[in-house]
Amino acid sequence: MPFRFTEKTTESGARYLRVDAEGRVSLDDAKEFQSWVMRPEWHLGLIMSVVGKGTAYDRDARKVFQTLNEHITALATVVTSPIVRAAINMMLRLARSRGTTPLRMFTSEEEALRWLESRRGDVPPRP
Amino acid sequence: MAIDPERVERVLAVMVDAAEGNYETRVPLSDVEDEMLEIEVGINFLLDELTHQRARNESHQRALVAALSTPIIVLWPGVLALPLIGHFDRGRAMEVTATLLARVRAERASHVILDLTGLAELAGDTMPALLRMVQAMRLLGARCLLTGMHPRSAQQVVELGIELRGVPTLAQVSDALAQVMSEKGVFKTGT
Repeated sequence: MPFRFTEKTTESGARYLRVDAEGRVSLDDAKEFQSWVMRPEWHLGLIMSVVGKGTAYDRDARKVFQTLNEHITALATVVTSPIVRAAINMMLRLARSRGTTPLRMFTSEEEALRWLESRRGDVPPRP
Repeated sequence: MAIDPERVERVLAVMVDAAEGNYETRVPLSDVEDEMLEIEVGINFLLDELTHQRARNESHQRALVAALSTPIIVLWPGVLALPLIGHFDRGRAMEVTATLLARVRAERASHVILDLTGLAELAGDTMPALLRMVQAMRLLGARCLLTGMHPRSAQQVVELGIELRGVPTLAQVSDALAQVMSEKGVFKTGT
């Protein structure tokens, strides 16, 4: 499985889902990501995705990610590989027709966390 | 931005391949952060999309050809007609038989009229393939009738010494339908 999901909390108390990605992402993997995003505790929540070098997305997997915009408040993606960044950029371009994207890319986890914390107020209250 | 001529060459080579219908090659990528990388990745995404679209179109086309090559018509409840068109060999007979058997069972058909008007000249294995199909129908309780055999095909059947015992052959589909209706007691032949 190229994804590892961990539930985390920032120092200031913001809950976020950390997703570590590595390797080839298939349609099934993308669906697993989607199922996490759709869980009541994470729907419209904060997500930090740390994408390793060499991560690649199958064509069908990309299609799933392009449908997730409206289900995520903020997705901070930490990526250091230029190839992976270019792939995510292209996925973003293709997803833009489906509304504003909640994703921003960073090169460090600290920056990504700071941005996620800044978006904490946009997360709807949990029942 | 200075572009490495070798990278341009690699992109062009992939585009030439794609123009010739080969969507399998991809632009090799290297971890160099520049605008060119975005273009290279974009081309690879585009090729993924083209590969997918082509596979989907081919699958639709196969389904369409299969549907058109077995146009089974219900002439009357329990009476099916299948006009055979083009080349009919052992392989096609197997496909057609599978589709026809499913319809015979679904429709609880008692009769199947196989119309040969649109068949090209009978190949050596056409009649044996047809007869196997007829036998398969019989096992499901459906009786086959042949119509529209060309004179040359009839001659071939005789020359090949093929026995069509128990398989009525009639000139036209309407003749076969009249015979079936008569057997079913719906109306009498010639009235």
